[in-house]
Amino acid sequence: MPSHVPNSSGLQRLIAQLAPLLIVCAIVFALPVLLNNDFLLNKVARYLVLGILTVSLGLSWGFGGILNLGQAMSFGLGSYAMAMALKLKTVPVHTGASGLPDFMVWNNVQHLPWFWEPFRSLTFAIAAGLIVPALVAAALGWFMFRGRVTGVYVSIITLATMVVINLVIIDQQSYTGGFNGITDLAQLEIFGVAFDAYGRATYYLVACCVLLSLLVAFAFTKSKAGLIVQAIRDHESRVRYFGYDVALYQIFVFALSAAIAGLAGMLYTVVMEFASPTFLGVQLSLSVVVWCAVGGRQSLVGAFLGAVLVAGMQGALSESAAFLETWTLVMGALFVLVVLFLPKGLAGLAQVVWRWIVQRRQAASGRVAQGVGQTEGST
Amino acid sequence: MDQFIEQIVTGLSIGSILLLVALGLSIIYGSMGIINLAHGEFVMLGAYAAWVFHTYLGLGLLASLVPIFLVVAAFGWVIERYVLSLLNNRPLDTILATWGVGIMLQQAVRLSVGSELRYVQLPPALSDSMDVFGISVSSYRVFLFVVSIALFGATWLLMNRTPVGMKLRAIIQDRSVAASFGINAKRVYALTFAYGAGLAGLAGALVSPLKSVSPDMGTGYVVDAFMVVVLGGVQSLAGTVASAFILGELSGGIAFLQNDTVAKAIVLLAIVVLIRFRPEGLFTARVRA
Repeated sequence: MPSHVPNSSGLQRLIAQLAPLLIVCAIVFALPVLLNNDFLLNKVARYLVLGILTVSLGLSWGFGGILNLGQAMSFGLGSYAMAMALKLKTVPVHTGASGLPDFMVWNNVQHLPWFWEPFRSLTFAIAAGLIVPALVAAALGWFMFRGRVTGVYVSIITLATMVVINLVIIDQQSYTGGFNGITDLAQLEIFGVAFDAYGRATYYLVACCVLLSLLVAFAFTKSKAGLIVQAIRDHESRVRYFGYDVALYQIFVFALSAAIAGLAGMLYTVVMEFASPTFLGVQLSLSVVVWCAVGGRQSLVGAFLGAVLVAGMQGALSESAAFLETWTLVMGALFVLVVLFLPKGLAGLAQVVWRWIVQRRQAASGRVAQGVGQTEGST
Repeated sequence: MDQFIEQIVTGLSIGSILLLVALGLSIIYGSMGIINLAHGEFVMLGAYAAWVFHTYLGLGLLASLVPIFLVVAAFGWVIERYVLSLLNNRPLDTILATWGVGIMLQQAVRLSVGSELRYVQLPPALSDSMDVFGISVSSYRVFLFVVSIALFGATWLLMNRTPVGMKLRAIIQDRSVAASFGINAKRVYALTFAYGAGLAGLAGALVSPLKSVSPDMGTGYVVDAFMVVVLGGVQSLAGTVASAFILGELSGGIAFLQNDTVAKAIVLLAIVVLIRFRPEGLFTARVRA
């Protein structure tokens, strides 16, 4: 409650800004105590992973002003990196020589392709799940931002690039499993801990990653680079006149966001126990945009909660087809309303309500002047 | 040689469908700067309208074209009036809003009509085939080609030879100056959007006998149409025509040489590169910024 403290120092403000983030993470960590159901816990873990993905989009869209309609591309790349490693760890059943994955045997592939070879190492796979999406994004960002492509065109290029990669993955069936994706995976095992998709260990792994990615994203938005990125979002050419290399900052936030999405993708494979071309499909990619917009694109915690709540709601209703269809209709309407009237999403709404409560309280205790002076402008 | 001509004709046929679908999008994007992601759903609405008119009123496809145009245009008018006009200076948000509208339209159709495939009959007068350059082509495809060119001509006349078109062009150049001359920008925008939507509806009705009608049929069209508009250049109707036929020939040709997936991927990559180096499109002269 920053406005209660006169002359709140930088540290106190920082703590106040971190509070929602820490509260949400505390709830995430406490959930298994309340939920004594492994099946449900797996579902929640899934929504949390989608939350991380949405935070990554919030970073590039809400803070960098880069509406990446292909955010699922990074997610899918991470997911495939993990799936490739876990596939090679399976006990060969159908496989031929040197433990070829089953779909390669079906497609008459004789040797493990060179780009599969390094995925025998789990360490390599995890590194690749972060670095490959980041590198691809950096290359794409270099291609776009060096040419000063902005706004709508960024969205089209990112979407088209994702569709191309998706088409290639589906087309190259013998190396990627094609339309079916990579299924029948081994369990992830790190330092002797096995991460069963329905086990507590996996849930806590996901929860730790939620905390980690929220903190990294938060730290970035408070760093100097993060501030410059936000300045670019608000007025690109002004920042350029100050002598900053605008494209460099844009590429950086784009790549950072891709790396976080890659992390989410790897976790998704662990939680879902497969990787599929739909993980980098248009449907998911656009859903992430909806979650982010509903939660609040300029609030990391808001974006996270937006994904968890909306995806969770969708999951809960998907038991019945009629419910799901109606829900999708309601979702579309809700989305349009949010875009029209709540550009900052539910997080913006929460902020307004919170300020109103604080002001009311201060008015009641006769300290109006101090409170109003400290509220930041939010138009 | 025969095969070559056949490829050309196939390309022309794909191109004329692309032109039909892209024309409405081009008008809306070129004049209002709105990327209308609900465009595919307008196409879908047109196709369903054709089906409804046929099944419940017994109207043939050709007889119902005008009512279909009006119905879908009315949808467009309502959407512009009550959603898009609220987003005046937020072009990125119009993408989101129109996408949300698209979802709603798609779901509404799915809930009311059902998601099973529907079929629309070819007009009996056009169900035979005819000879073009020594190759037998379905008359309906020739008809589509002629209609797409005719609609392009009508749109060009509307934009360049009528008072409404002149007002629209004035608003595109400078909205506030146009408004100070007494042009009602809001009304012109609403009419433009309605016209674009109506064109999409016509496109949907016209392609409905060739493809099955389903609630999500629009998704593919909107991507293709968008590529046409980007390639042709914003604010260039003639560019839209040229790029529709170029893309038609290109995807027909590559699909013949390779396969559909490769064709799609190559066309998309070409578009990406094009946006990077010539965001104003292939057929637009560089104008003062």
